[in-house]
Amino acid sequence: MVTPLEDTKVIDITEEIAGPYCSMELGDIGAEVIKVERLRGDTTRGWGPPFIGDQSAVFLGLNRNKRSIALDWTKPEGRDILLRLAKDADVFMDDLGVGKADSLGFGYEKLSTANPGLVYLSITAFGEKGPFADRPGSELVAQAMAEVTSSYGTIGEPPVRAGTDMASTFTGYFSFMGILSALFRRSHGGRGQKVATSLVGSALYMRGQLWMAHSDPDEWTGFHLDSYIKPRDHGYTAKDGQFVFGIRGVAGLESGDFQRLLKDLGLEHMLSNPHWSRFGNVSSTGRYGYLYDDVWNEKFSKMTLAEITELIEKKHGGNVYPVNNYEMLFSHPQLPYIDMVEEVEHPTAGKVKMTGMPWKLHDTPGSVRLPPPLLGQHTDEILHEAGYSQGEINSLRRAKVVS
Amino acid sequence: MPGPLEGIRVFDMTLAMVGPVATRHLGSLGADVIHIEAPEGVRAPSGIPPLIRGTSSNYIQHNLNKRGIILDLKSPKDKQVAYKILETCDLFVENMRTGVAERLGMGFADVSRINPRIVYVAITGYGSSGPMAHTPGSDGNIQAFGGWNSITGSPGGGWEASRHHTQMDFNAGNYITQGALIGLMARERTGKGQYIDLSMLGAAMAVQTSRIAEFFATGKTPPLMDSATITTVPHQAFLCQDKQWVAVGVTKEEQWAPFCKVLKLDHLVGDQRFKTNRDRVVNRDQLIPILEERFKTLPRYHWIMELNEVGVPAGKFMQWDEIRFHPQIIENQQIIQFPTKAWGTLYEGGPPYHFSETPATTFAAPIPGEHTDEVLSEFGLSREDLSHPRSEP
Repeated sequence: MVTPLEDTKVIDITEEIAGPYCSMELGDIGAEVIKVERLRGDTTRGWGPPFIGDQSAVFLGLNRNKRSIALDWTKPEGRDILLRLAKDADVFMDDLGVGKADSLGFGYEKLSTANPGLVYLSITAFGEKGPFADRPGSELVAQAMAEVTSSYGTIGEPPVRAGTDMASTFTGYFSFMGILSALFRRSHGGRGQKVATSLVGSALYMRGQLWMAHSDPDEWTGFHLDSYIKPRDHGYTAKDGQFVFGIRGVAGLESGDFQRLLKDLGLEHMLSNPHWSRFGNVSSTGRYGYLYDDVWNEKFSKMTLAEITELIEKKHGGNVYPVNNYEMLFSHPQLPYIDMVEEVEHPTAGKVKMTGMPWKLHDTPGSVRLPPPLLGQHTDEILHEAGYSQGEINSLRRAKVVS
Repeated sequence: MPGPLEGIRVFDMTLAMVGPVATRHLGSLGADVIHIEAPEGVRAPSGIPPLIRGTSSNYIQHNLNKRGIILDLKSPKDKQVAYKILETCDLFVENMRTGVAERLGMGFADVSRINPRIVYVAITGYGSSGPMAHTPGSDGNIQAFGGWNSITGSPGGGWEASRHHTQMDFNAGNYITQGALIGLMARERTGKGQYIDLSMLGAAMAVQTSRIAEFFATGKTPPLMDSATITTVPHQAFLCQDKQWVAVGVTKEEQWAPFCKVLKLDHLVGDQRFKTNRDRVVNRDQLIPILEERFKTLPRYHWIMELNEVGVPAGKFMQWDEIRFHPQIIENQQIIQFPTKAWGTLYEGGPPYHFSETPATTFAAPIPGEHTDEVLSEFGLSREDLSHPRSEP
C-alpha cells in the first residue's frame, strides 16, 4: 500500500512536545523516522506520573512510528554519526536553539553542503532573531508571552493556562506543514531549504483574530475585544453537568425558537430587556451573555442534562452539547464513528492506547506501525544500516558515544 | 519570491471560519486560492464585531491570501464555469454540512470525474456518520464537547472555555491544511487525487494528544491546576515581590540544579524528595510552598534575568500593549502589519513557518467577487457566461 511519505527519511533530534509531535505525524504517513536521543534520553521519558510501568504516558503518546538511537552528539564521533545519518536523509529536525547545531558541527549549512536536497527544520522557543533568540522556552512560558492566559481565569487571580499543550502542539503541526511544503517544493524545483518555527510564533499566529480586531476597528467593542474584561466562561450548569447549547437561527435571524424556549423556561419576561432581542447577544459566548449567566443557571440548575436536551433539542430544534471530560468523551456513542483511538503493543508497557489521526486518507491511509521505542532500542540496527561494522559499534558503545 | 506551493491551485468552496482558515494557509504558502462566494454573499460570520470599515474583522482575517469570485452553483451556467476552473485545480476544500456539496454537483464523485488529480478535502463537525453526523459543529460546542474545557481552570472551579477567539475553528482549519498537503505528497507517488475527510471533533482531540495520553494511562481526566503542569514540576506561575507573576518551567533535569542555585535553595538539589522530575511531581505539595515563599522575596525581573542566564525558562505574562511593540515579536515577524485597499493597515499573526528559499506571505482578503472578471478571463470566459452577469460585490 502506497503511503504519502514512503521513501522519506527523517532524522529527528528534538525532544519534549513540538518536535516529537511533528515527527510522529510524519511517521504516521509513512516516513522512516530515526529519533536521535541524547544518552540521557528524551527528557519527556521522565515526565510523570502518570507512568505505564516504567514508561512516561506523555512520551508514549508522542513517539510512535519512530526508531531510537542514543548518541552523544557533543563528542566528535557522535557528531560524525549524525553527519552520516543526515547525508542521505530527506528531513533533519533540531530544537537545540539558535546557533547550537552549527557550533556542534551539524547545522544547516554543513548538512546541506553534503546534502543539498535536505529539508532542515529548526524549532526555537521565541524565534531565530531578536533579544530572546537565545532564551530557553517551555509550554507555559510561551503561553505567557503570547497572552494566552488572558483568555482564561479572572483578572486579579492567579493566571490560568490553557490545559492543552497548545503552543507546543501548534508548533508541531506548523512544523509538519512547513516540512511537507518544502518537500513538495523540492520535487518541483530540486532544492532543499531551512524551515523555522517557534512556540511563541505559533501561539501568536493562532490568536490572529485578536490582532486583526485591534486594527483600528469602527468601535472598540465586540467578541474579540470584550473578552479581555469578561469573567470565566463555564457555559451553563445543569443539575448534573456543564453544557452549552445553540438554537436555530442564521446570523442573527431568529426562528421563533428562542422566544418559545424562554416561555417554557419561565423567562419570557426577559424579552422586555433589549439585550434579549437576539439569542446571540445573551448566549454564553454572546456580547452580554456574562451578565445573565445567573438568569439562565437559575433555571438550568434545577434540570438534568436529559431534561434540558429534551426541551431544547426535541421541543425547540436546537442542539445541546455537554461539556465533556475525557471519561465522558471517550464513552460517547459518537466516538467510534470518528476513529480517533489507536492501540499499539509496547515491549514493556503492554497494550497502549493512543490518540489517532484526524485526517482520513481514503486511498493512502496513515497507520501505527511501530510502538514508541525504548531508549537506544535500535542503535545497532541503525548504525548497521549506516555502514558501521559490529566491531565499530562495540567500540563506540565502550567509548560512551552511543548506547 | 514565490512560496513553496507555487503552481498549485485551490478551488475554495468554504464558508464561515473553519474552511476559510485552511485555504488562507494554502494561499500563504503560495497556492492560488480561488474562493467561491454565492451571489447574495454569505459574509459569515457576518457582522461579528468588531467591524473594520463596515466589514467584520473575522471575515477579513479568514479570507486573506485568496482571490474571490462570485458564482451561483445552483445555476447550470455557473456550474459549467466552476467545472472549467476545476480542470486546472489541484485541491478542493469544502466545509458544508454532510450531503450539501453532493446536492450542488460538487461532491467528490463529480469533482474527480472532471479532474482525477484533485485532492478533495472535506470536514464536518462531529463526523460524517453516527448519531451526530448532522449535528452542527462550531468553536464553542467543539471546545466543550471535545474535552478542551475540562482540562483548563482552577482547582475546585468549573471547566473553562477559551473565551476570546475561536481556537477550535482555527485548529480544525489547520488539520484541513495538513490533509491537503498530505494529499499532494501522496499524489506525487500515486499520480492521482483522493478523498480526505476530517471532523472538527477529531481535530480537537488530536491537538490534545499530549494530555489525552495521561488519560489513557490513568483512566481519569487530569485535574485542574491553574497554571501548573501535571507531568513536570516546577512548571507554573509564581507570584513575586512586586505582586507580578512570572512563568517558570523546569522541563529538563539539567535545569533543576541551576534553578535551585538561583533561588538560593541549594540544599534542595540533594533532597531525595525532589531529586528527579518524577520525585518532584509526586512531592509537589511539599516543594511548591517552599518555592512560592522564595519567589515572593524579589521582583519578577530578577527571576527572569537570573533564571534565563542559567538556561531555565522564565518569562513575563504579556499583554497586547507590550506585544505589539516587542522587539522579539517584531523582528521575527510574529505579528505583522500589511496594507489593504478597503480596510486600511491591518495587524495579523505572521505566517508561523519561515522558509529560507520560498517564503510564505500575507496579503489582503478580496472584497467578495473582486477577482471575478480576472479569473473568468484566464479561462477565456466573461460575465456573460454567468447566470448573474451583473452581480457586483
